[in-house]
Amino acid sequence: MASLQIRNLIKDYGSFKAIRDVSLEVPSGEFVVMVGPSGCGKSTLLRSIAGLESITSGEISIDGRDISKVEPFDRGVAMVFQNYALYPHMTVRQNMGFALKIGGASKVDVEKAVQRAAGILRIENQLDKKPKSLSGGQKQRVAIGRAITRSPDVFLFDEPLSNLDAALRSQMRVELGRLHAELGATMVYVTHDQTEAMTMASRIVVLRDGIIEQVGAPLELYNFPATRFVAGFLGSPRMNFIKATVHTIDNDHLHLEAAGLAGRLRVPLLHADNALDGMQSGTDVIVGVRPEGFVDGDVEGYRDWRIEGQVAVVESLGRDTLLYLNGGGIKAFDSESHEGYLAIHRTRQLQAVHGQQLQVAIDPGAAYVFDASGKTCVFPLAPNHLLAGAA
Amino acid sequence: MGSRFRWVQVLLYGFVSLWSLFVLLPTAWMVIGAFKTKREFFLDPLGMPASFDFDAFERAWGTGVGGFLLNSMFVTALSVLVIVVVSAMAAYVLARTDNRWMRLVYLVIVAGFAVPVQAVIIPLFQMVSGAGMLNSLFAIVLPYAAYGIPFTIILFYAFFLDFPRELEEAALLDGCRPVKTFFHIVLPLMGPAVASAAIFQAVFIWNEFLLALLMLTKPAVKTLTVGILQLGGEFTSDWAAIMAGLSIAVLPILTVFILAQKYFVRSLAGLGK
Repeated sequence: MASLQIRNLIKDYGSFKAIRDVSLEVPSGEFVVMVGPSGCGKSTLLRSIAGLESITSGEISIDGRDISKVEPFDRGVAMVFQNYALYPHMTVRQNMGFALKIGGASKVDVEKAVQRAAGILRIENQLDKKPKSLSGGQKQRVAIGRAITRSPDVFLFDEPLSNLDAALRSQMRVELGRLHAELGATMVYVTHDQTEAMTMASRIVVLRDGIIEQVGAPLELYNFPATRFVAGFLGSPRMNFIKATVHTIDNDHLHLEAAGLAGRLRVPLLHADNALDGMQSGTDVIVGVRPEGFVDGDVEGYRDWRIEGQVAVVESLGRDTLLYLNGGGIKAFDSESHEGYLAIHRTRQLQAVHGQQLQVAIDPGAAYVFDASGKTCVFPLAPNHLLAGAA
Repeated sequence: MGSRFRWVQVLLYGFVSLWSLFVLLPTAWMVIGAFKTKREFFLDPLGMPASFDFDAFERAWGTGVGGFLLNSMFVTALSVLVIVVVSAMAAYVLARTDNRWMRLVYLVIVAGFAVPVQAVIIPLFQMVSGAGMLNSLFAIVLPYAAYGIPFTIILFYAFFLDFPRELEEAALLDGCRPVKTFFHIVLPLMGPAVASAAIFQAVFIWNEFLLALLMLTKPAVKTLTVGILQLGGEFTSDWAAIMAGLSIAVLPILTVFILAQKYFVRSLAGLGK
């Protein structure tokens, strides 16, 4: 157990800046997940902590000890690799005990540590097998076991679940959560999968182009994304982004006009009022509505923000239904579908079919507003009411 | 599948069959000849022997083929060992370095692969002679190693470029410095590459004639290829004994080759990467 500090870390590859000035404090015992699209620098950051990449400038320390120039194996970190990186010529037992053996531990101590790790991961009966005869999930367990055996100060995970199938992945997510609770260890986890970030993290670090976009607890980031990038990155399906223009601003509402919308969207202002500085009639903004931020089109009081559209795709998830709506004049941009369909999430079963006419309405109380630079200017009234209100 | 494709197949198989016969018939003739009596050999050169007895083998063995065999085995084993160990370590460093000068070193080694042994045979002889190593087995082990290393480095270099880097990174985190990583992780996983290189070099060294003829003049140090030549001088009329000696020379390497031909093919296929 140890805390990790990163101060002003910069990593250049020639003229390419992989990491530009990242600072981060990870308190002891925290499970930090670093997410971002590919090329955002998350893996480089993790490999820098491990010592597999040299850093251009800055400082990485564990419990206050500067490890920036220390050899990888003296840093007190263990890493779990995406492709498991198990030694194919060694048995599971040898794989897990290798670090201790190299470090000069006695046979008894190595065996004790291996048994303990195997017990935690429930792979005691796999110890004499070679990695080749293990399934993907078992291999990943062994890779994690190899890290546990070393009792490191900090665990590093580099997209460890991306090679597993969906069912196994969600199982391993639970397993890793349990492991973190059981070991109480400091863990840094890199993934491009927002689900993994949302489900496992104590705190999420969203990276973009080598800088930290936002840091916070999963729901904090989900409900209060500082930027449109974070808003779009967390949550699946993505938040719907619609172009709009400011009509007027009064004391407690922002009135917006959007092409294809009958009435003006009256977005209530509660949070971050001063973020509207410089905004005036005619300013272009972007409205963000999560898939759960829609109500039925005929609900009293919401009719002005009604969208009449055609169902393009229906995804029945069992209890819930996801709809992709061709909103006619209302188009989502930067979305999962090229056609600009609106993603709509209903927490009930719907018997919708392709091509069917459907009316929904934006819930202005669930809308985010972003300025042209991508900064969030308006947060919804109470984001956690969204799930309840979406039914 | 069209009939045209089938015709191409027939043609190809026909060609390969003819080629195989072209290679195998003399070999078969050699083995069969070794079982003939001297009389049979001259009366019916293409016929089968009346009985399969090992007299000719005994005569050949009696002239010291056993010694030549041991010399060849020693030379081949030692040369291959030196080639594999040196090449593996050199190729690993060359494949993992970022140093620009090392890339130049690699180019020089590749260039060394292109120098024909005949071109440098006189200076080579003088060097070996000057070192006082003539008529010692090291007189050919060292040049063989020197000639085998460039090719083997190229082979291993390609292997290391494909070697999963994560394994080395995992070893680094587990506490291995590069030397330990090489011996604990990389070397144990080099099996197929080593087998390819070893069989390729073994066949070449076992059959090498020119250098052995120049450097080894005393019977006690001769290898099989030059030893058999001596056999031809002694038994001008005993062709059966010569055939028996040749069979003894070919048999070990042929056996090894057949057992390991999979790796041999792979080593050549690996060059196309």
